[in-house]
Amino acid sequence: MTEATAVRTGAAVAISGLHKGFGEVRAVDGVDLLISPGEVVALLGPNGAGKSTTVDMMLGLTRPDRGSVSIFGRAPRAAVSAGVIGAMPQSGSLLEDATVAETVGLIAALHRAPLPVATALERAGVADLADRRCTRLSGGQKQRVRFALALVSDPDLLVLDEPTVAMDVETRREFWRSMREYTSGGRTVLFATHYLEEAEEYADRVVLMRSGRVVADGSVAQVRAAVSGRTLRAVVPGVRRSVVAGLPGVRGAETRGEQVSLTCSDSDAALRALLAAFPDAHDIEISALGLEDAFLALTGEDA
Amino acid sequence: MNPRFLMLEVTRAVRSTRYLIFTVVLPAVMFLLFLNLYGGQGGSFPNGLPVRTSLMMNMALFGVLSGPLAVGARIAVERGSGWQRQLRLTPLSGTGYLLTKGALGMLVALPAVVLVSFIGGVFEGVELEPLQWLALEGTLWLAALPFVLLGIVVGLVSSPDGMQAVTGGVSMVFGLLGGIWIPADVAPGWLRGVMEVLPVYWVKELAQAPLVPGVNVPMALLVVGAWVAGLGLVAARRFRAQA
Repeated sequence: MTEATAVRTGAAVAISGLHKGFGEVRAVDGVDLLISPGEVVALLGPNGAGKSTTVDMMLGLTRPDRGSVSIFGRAPRAAVSAGVIGAMPQSGSLLEDATVAETVGLIAALHRAPLPVATALERAGVADLADRRCTRLSGGQKQRVRFALALVSDPDLLVLDEPTVAMDVETRREFWRSMREYTSGGRTVLFATHYLEEAEEYADRVVLMRSGRVVADGSVAQVRAAVSGRTLRAVVPGVRRSVVAGLPGVRGAETRGEQVSLTCSDSDAALRALLAAFPDAHDIEISALGLEDAFLALTGEDA
Repeated sequence: MNPRFLMLEVTRAVRSTRYLIFTVVLPAVMFLLFLNLYGGQGGSFPNGLPVRTSLMMNMALFGVLSGPLAVGARIAVERGSGWQRQLRLTPLSGTGYLLTKGALGMLVALPAVVLVSFIGGVFEGVELEPLQWLALEGTLWLAALPFVLLGIVVGLVSSPDGMQAVTGGVSMVFGLLGGIWIPADVAPGWLRGVMEVLPVYWVKELAQAPLVPGVNVPMALLVVGAWVAGLGLVAARRFRAQA
């Protein structure tokens, strides 16, 4: 066994060359992703970025056109059957005519080595709702019951697709608190979200997707550093893109006629070098790039 | 098959007032109603079957048709709501799911048979030998099989929104044209032709075989068997296409 395959076999999630199309749309267009046991990973991206399709393929709910997914060295369906992976898919639902305890109890009974139902309810913070019919739950309560369904198989990997989507601020905070308790035991979690602050606060690592591809992948600190630059705009007569792109402190450059827009890791150095090389540069503007802007810059469509 | 899953399915069915009304209460009420309209004088059909016994069998069959149909139609709802997705995140296989729904269909067909027969035997003077009762009850219950499969096909084919209309149409065709509401003996020739293609007619033939002479049992088994095989095949193919 080579070192690479050893890593892949030990990985919680190993995705390589994953493709999935729906008609003309390439929902997932070549995703590679390796997640180690114990990592808490946020999958970020705008609607239609391919997050849910990727998650569905990890859960064996959708078959990839090409590429492979392995969960702790197993195929997705086998991992689901073994109870290794627990999930809250986006479009899942509860039974309207059953109680919370009955529903969680059923899912527990279908698994081979489940948690006691009471424990799962407690961990998801819905112990007080056990005898409530599922029709009589609020949106946030439903989400937490679905969280209990994901927990009850006692999985090593939790996959959550926009788990807090129907929750108010208070419930959301409570949800993440129970989540923290769960991950402190060394479990692996992958959650898709479009709340940036959730990713910042709860994930060790952020994976940004856009148009079916991974466009950025790193620790929260790395991604923040990568995006915490500044943008330098100026009108530069006689500019050539290759020259400005090579200036110190410049990470990316765009030119449109004489208009130059530079994404800078060090805007001071970039400005000095720009003025030295092009003394005629004028209408200079430097603006800060927040995480939100950076997120949009990394995941948005090209202007 | 997971017993806990079947248990919860039965609990949910019993909780549903619609199930209880349409598949348990209504057949019994209709039996009493028709009995007052047609069966009071204690007449018999040409083959010797008393009208009241025939009505009892027909109304039991009404429950045997509508119970499993209601169960099957729920498959369409669970497909649309996302509950099936939730189940696909457990070791439960698709086959296990359908088998459980099938077992549930057989179970929900039973109360109507028992209740209508109880009313017939205890209050309405239907007189049969113990062995005849046993054979009749058993046949009526086993007769649920083609309708259980029919329900599953309806559940797999129709959309959650169209499910109600499809179920209504199917129970109309199978019930009315199948001879539950019109006795085959009084049906005009063309209708009788239609009846003899549908499973309800032959199921009733099988059920009355222990009571009256002249039932073509091999033919009945052949037609019902063909329906079971055909519906089973459609269900399997449709299910595989969706998995």
